[in-house]
Amino acid sequence: MVIKIRYALWALIAVLGLAPQPAWSQSKNLIDAAKKEGGKAIVYGSLESSPVEKIIKVFRSKTGLDAEYWRASSTKVMDRALGEYRAGRPLFDLILTNADPMIIMAKEGIFAKYNSPSARNYAPESIHPDLGPRYRNVVVGIIYNTRMIKPADAPKSLEDLLKPQYRGKLVMPDPTQHTTTTQWVTNLWKVLGKEKADRFIRDLAATKPVLVESLLPAAKRVTTGETPIAITYVKYAYIFGKEGAPLDYVRLGKMMGDGHYVNLNNKASHPSAGKAFIDFFLDSESVKIMADMGEFVNLKGVYPPLPDADKIQFVQMDGLSKKEYAAKKKEYQKIFLK
Amino acid sequence: MTADQALPAAARDRVSGFLTHPLNLVFIAVAAVLAFLSLYPTAFLIYGSFTDAPLGLPGHFTFANYVRAYSDPSAYPLILNSFVFGLGASGLSVALALILAWVTIRTNAPFRRLFELTAIIPNIMPPLLISISWVMLLNPSNGLINVVLVRLLGLGKGPFNIYSLPGLIFVEGLILTPLAFLIISAALKGMDPSLEESAKTLGSSELGVVSRITFPLMRPAILAAGTLNFVRALESFDTPAIIALPARIEVFTTKIWREALGSFPTNHNLAAAYGIGILAIALIFVYLYRRFTSKVESFSTVTGKAFQPHQIDLGKWRHWASAGAFVLLTMMVILPFAVLILVSVLPYYHVPTWETWQTLTLRHFKTLYESERVYRAFGNSLFLALGGATVCMLLASLTSYLTVRTKIAGRGLLEGLVFIPWAFPGTALALGLLWAYVDFPIPVYATIWIIMIAYVTRFLPYGLRAVSTTIIQIHRELEEASTACGAGFFATFRRILLPLMRPGVMAGWIILVTIFMREFSASIFLYSPGAEPLGPLLYFFYLDGWTGPMAALGLIISLICIVLIALAQRFSRWES
Repeated sequence: MVIKIRYALWALIAVLGLAPQPAWSQSKNLIDAAKKEGGKAIVYGSLESSPVEKIIKVFRSKTGLDAEYWRASSTKVMDRALGEYRAGRPLFDLILTNADPMIIMAKEGIFAKYNSPSARNYAPESIHPDLGPRYRNVVVGIIYNTRMIKPADAPKSLEDLLKPQYRGKLVMPDPTQHTTTTQWVTNLWKVLGKEKADRFIRDLAATKPVLVESLLPAAKRVTTGETPIAITYVKYAYIFGKEGAPLDYVRLGKMMGDGHYVNLNNKASHPSAGKAFIDFFLDSESVKIMADMGEFVNLKGVYPPLPDADKIQFVQMDGLSKKEYAAKKKEYQKIFLK
Repeated sequence: MTADQALPAAARDRVSGFLTHPLNLVFIAVAAVLAFLSLYPTAFLIYGSFTDAPLGLPGHFTFANYVRAYSDPSAYPLILNSFVFGLGASGLSVALALILAWVTIRTNAPFRRLFELTAIIPNIMPPLLISISWVMLLNPSNGLINVVLVRLLGLGKGPFNIYSLPGLIFVEGLILTPLAFLIISAALKGMDPSLEESAKTLGSSELGVVSRITFPLMRPAILAAGTLNFVRALESFDTPAIIALPARIEVFTTKIWREALGSFPTNHNLAAAYGIGILAIALIFVYLYRRFTSKVESFSTVTGKAFQPHQIDLGKWRHWASAGAFVLLTMMVILPFAVLILVSVLPYYHVPTWETWQTLTLRHFKTLYESERVYRAFGNSLFLALGGATVCMLLASLTSYLTVRTKIAGRGLLEGLVFIPWAFPGTALALGLLWAYVDFPIPVYATIWIIMIAYVTRFLPYGLRAVSTTIIQIHRELEEASTACGAGFFATFRRILLPLMRPGVMAGWIILVTIFMREFSASIFLYSPGAEPLGPLLYFFYLDGWTGPMAALGLIISLICIVLIALAQRFSRWES
């Protein structure tokens, strides 16, 4: 009897030890420390507010801690964070944004190195040596209005955009103004090859696409039906599609995009709350919230509710330096704005 | 005493004489406040324009930013484009405002009170929303007006294309009209009609009175509105971003965006160098304005005698006048609002069909109703709007008095100081404000107070222009009578001048309240999470693609502002 109880106890310990635990539940000490700090993390980021608010709500209920979110574009996030940091009064604990501004901020030495236990959920190739896990990707592709263009008549590839029947029907962000689009155009060689990419860029410019300020206005023009096809984030096909907009996206196979990261300020006023938030944010529950709202996350087997999302082969764009951005914008001015 | 000893003694006497006069003390206090508000944040930007490193990092003195900004030959055609755009938009806004103000204040056209209220409404809507509304109405593909005209008249394609320079001027002109209307109508309300009545007595027709008496006396107000709106158009980015870009029209601000503010990383040094150029243009216009209105007595029409504003009996033409005003208000108010209402009740925006009525929804309003963030933002914005506008108008009234009414040396500098922050692009100024206050000894950064400081800093020119046009009309005899009766400066200012300046003060207050309720660019870097005002909230709805909630929120803000404006107008109306 005593031996049976002992075996049962050992079996229970083995099961508890081997069973997958949510990472945040392992950080009770962290949560207690965070409560002593005030119980709140301040986050600056460029991720849309709606998924973040949902995540914060769940974070609050699961940990008893709170988070406040300041949302802006990635360059404004960087400007504010660096402005405060250089003045010696950083109010933020965490930054949530894409690779290029994160790298600049990392080079300026504002981040603390934190190895979150939640990082084990990510494939090694998704983990940046300085920035940690790439929790989501923003994927750029082609979306179209299915009331104006039947799926059978829709373009099937990037090169199809050059066909005469699509002339005057394409909208895209201005690559001489919008930095993500500058980056996308510059990196086209990754999916088309160098020679084809150079020719494609010139021919695309020659079709005189409608140019707008950024990726969202491009998607909006397709939603309203003003222009039937757009180069924009693929996730908008789901986000606006679920509101009733007749949208679909072109199955390009390989699509380029940028990764997003979350990092801790090395002068954070609430470092423990910050770490607890990172652990929760990178973990599966939070990432699934994002995926359900249309985001392409990097957790294996988790996809947004977009048809064939699992078939998209994501290609990470290379970052550009300040000089490269300036040079490319000048080059594209001559091609796109002549 | 030798001559050398007499000199410092004489200087000391002059200084102590200067300081004993209360007016001079007021001048010093106002100058100090304006200099601090204006120069402290912009000093960082001006410094940044002469260095090669971002703010906060050590850099080297250089003219490279100016060389880059102004040696580029492509900049000058764009500056010319911007001038054409600015002149067109401000000219259109002044013309529309003059017609509306004259109909509502000086005629017996029916429904003029309603016109007076609704003419201000477009100022409540963020310029971004107005631009988007007009694109939805007049884009050549499926703009609502074009679609209706094609169907009604059997046209091959829509007759209007918003994506053009005339389209850009048209939309910006409509956006600027409320401001011009408020300034011009305040001046019209404050005008003693005795000169006009004298002209009529001597046999002049109504048209003659209007062209030879009324409008010349309105010159300061017309110039003030035109100056303000020209500089506003010059530094406008929202409308060009939405309308000019697809039309492949470039103006100066789209270049600034490309080269500096939209570059990666943002080049605030270059943006500041561009801002100095716009500042120079703004200061030239301020100087010209002061030259044209320097003979103050020639515009004085408010005297010690009581009066009723002269009202013209249009006879059978009164209904036509109302119809004309209604057409203008349809363009300025009804059409953009109709689009806003439509967007707020559709699940997603599309050209309406018969099936659309079945998809109407109130869920965007429900989203706002259930959001704690929205309630907090309303509270913050109401506090900022009411408090900020009041502080701003008090400062503007004192500044206006000092610059228009006194002969104190250096008074012209006050006006220049007020315009300095305004000349910088909004985002650049926002960074200057961040830098100025992030490490300020008094902990105002990331509180609601820093946003109020930012609003007053950026929008004081509006209040100043509104009240200056009224104070010019007040004859000195009223102040002289008060002083002769023994009243000091403060008593005269409070009991004589402020009540007479009331139309201009209220006009300015209304302009500022409506702007503060939805302002975004000055506050973007300054508000802390949880202390967010409505402006950033509206903008982030737009950034996140939440067009429905954005339109619903825009409507609610407009309704609240209409109530505030109606109350303010009632309070400011002349009593006989």
